[in-house]
Amino acid sequence: MLLARTSWREVAHRPLRTLLALVGVAVSTAMLVDMIMLGSGITSSFSDLLATRGYELRVAPRGTLPFDTEARIPGFSSLRDTLADTPGVAGVAPVLAAAVNIDVDGASAPGSGDRAGGALASGRRRAFALGIDPAEQGILRVIDGALPTRGEALLDEDTARELSVAPGDTVEIGAAGGFGVVARTARVRVVGIAEFLFAARGDAPIALPLEDLQRLVGRPDAVSFVMLRGTEDADPAAIEAAVTAAAPRVDVVTLAGIVDRARQRLSYFRQLALILGTVSLLVASLLVGTIMAISVSERLGTIAALRAIGIPRRSIIGGLTGESLLLCAIGGGVGLALGVVMSGYLESILSDLPGLPEAVRFFVLRPGSLVVAYGLLIVVGALAGLVPAWRATRLEVVTLLHAEEP
Amino acid sequence: MLVAIVVGVHPGPASGQDSAVSPSGHACPSGLEVLVERGWGESARLAPGDTLEIRSAPEGVSCRAVVTGLFEPPPDPSRLNVDRPRLLFHLPHLAALAGRPNDVDQLTIALAPGADPARVAERLEPLLPGAQVLSTVDVADRSSTTFLVVNRFHGAIGLITLIAGGVFLACIMVLKVQERRAPIAAARLVGVRRGLLMGWLVSEAAILSALGGVLGLGLGLIASSLINAFYQHVYDTTLVFSRVTVEMTGQALALAVVLGLGAGLFAARRLLVLDALEEVGR
Repeated sequence: MLLARTSWREVAHRPLRTLLALVGVAVSTAMLVDMIMLGSGITSSFSDLLATRGYELRVAPRGTLPFDTEARIPGFSSLRDTLADTPGVAGVAPVLAAAVNIDVDGASAPGSGDRAGGALASGRRRAFALGIDPAEQGILRVIDGALPTRGEALLDEDTARELSVAPGDTVEIGAAGGFGVVARTARVRVVGIAEFLFAARGDAPIALPLEDLQRLVGRPDAVSFVMLRGTEDADPAAIEAAVTAAAPRVDVVTLAGIVDRARQRLSYFRQLALILGTVSLLVASLLVGTIMAISVSERLGTIAALRAIGIPRRSIIGGLTGESLLLCAIGGGVGLALGVVMSGYLESILSDLPGLPEAVRFFVLRPGSLVVAYGLLIVVGALAGLVPAWRATRLEVVTLLHAEEP
Repeated sequence: MLVAIVVGVHPGPASGQDSAVSPSGHACPSGLEVLVERGWGESARLAPGDTLEIRSAPEGVSCRAVVTGLFEPPPDPSRLNVDRPRLLFHLPHLAALAGRPNDVDQLTIALAPGADPARVAERLEPLLPGAQVLSTVDVADRSSTTFLVVNRFHGAIGLITLIAGGVFLACIMVLKVQERRAPIAAARLVGVRRGLLMGWLVSEAAILSALGGVLGLGLGLIASSLINAFYQHVYDTTLVFSRVTVEMTGQALALAVVLGLGAGLFAARRLLVLDALEEVGR
């Protein structure tokens, strides 16, 4: 109790030093928390997104991943039969992706003259069309309206707002036919608004029935990839093996495989998180260590007096370490809150990265991240106090008193 | 983009086509030749004269192409995480291989002097259904978005690091000045002017922060070299990932000295207003 009071008095006696130390520890902790969140956030967020609708496997053209290239799987009808007959498969959800242009009835599309986003020079809006099977799909959630049937389409909220289109309106969709090719067009009625799970910012997604989009792009019976849903007791690895054997022209990828590829592509952020996290911890330990070293050297006389009246060494070490822990506990607590706030700001910057699904998060707040950051800081704080205290208490009382003299 | 898939590698010259007809019914182009990107060519141990089996689509029938050489693509940060190798064909060969004769994915147009790219784009686009006409500036803007975002992220991280470093420096300066309590008080008691003592303390702070700044710059240069060496090795590229400029060096040093001076000045002013007798007695 006496030592705790002494420690508290010492911390309170030098408010400027204490305040600076607390701010330093808080900023370092905030950075540490953010880097821990960044290191694991994107992987866990991407895994969660992929598993949202319960489709554990993706079937893509050999050598590609979904949304990775423009390659397509021809002859889907026969592939669908093969996939549906595979033991353990409960659902087959085909997806065809294609670039299209949208023209709104009665008005030129917005963005004319403004080349930002997907606006074209001619006043159309470039969009990303997805052909789906309304009976079995895992790439969107209907927010308002219903899944599209023949001649109908779903838009996302941002695109609908940008085009000033509401359910019930009609839009004209033109396929990108290539140079010198007269594009096919189709008029579709917007029947609702949906959340497109894998759409990137600025994609302007639009969903149509698979057959409608196949006809529009002139690729009957072709799909970009297929999502597979297993039965409750099915083993994804067994389905993967069975499909690979039955359909050698396609690649079957598990969610883990896709996440692993994404991890590789975004390895830069994990490496950055590791480096900056380590530096943050180092800065915090140097700061607290320096303050404690100077604080102990200023109090050699007090330590000598405490030793002289019979206070055991370990109690003195405990008191000094407690002082260091106090700094880290308070500064770290503030730092955790600061880190959560800062992560929102950093997330807002990285969310502008093109090509990533809008739902993917770089900084994911998990209690584990906070516990790890705080735990690391407490360990650092304990060591920062322990080392100078141990060194000071090793000296004889006379030596301590001699060292105290100016 | 015209796509081809490499399905096999054969050392030595081709012994003949596996198939004379591509999936879309077009004949494999005769005398099919290919240039291979150096990185992949070396890892696949390809040499001029070797033969590749190439398909335009997974379901396609393969055609054989003779490797005429390896090429070094210009360093391009946008391809750092792209693991598919680049192959260069004669345009008619690839168009035939892909079953898309007289077809291209994109083309570049040189404008007459004084022509406005935006107006030309607006006029051209309606004439090319399904095509997008972009000026060089538009293309540059779109392709550099990733790097602009990463740059902003680095800026934010740099700002946070700067705050942490500034607080650390201020803390050390305060501690250094406070260490001088007794000698400063003694000097004041024997009549040394406050201005002189202030100058002493602030000079010490400036020297300390400048030395720390130089040491930090040295560490930064070493770290920058290590980062470049590591990532150039990982990505097999000559791209420069970290660059320390003269301007950056000047800014870092100036910042260290200014922060050190500010912290030293603040602590010295606080110290010099205290009662000297009391300080000596402590």
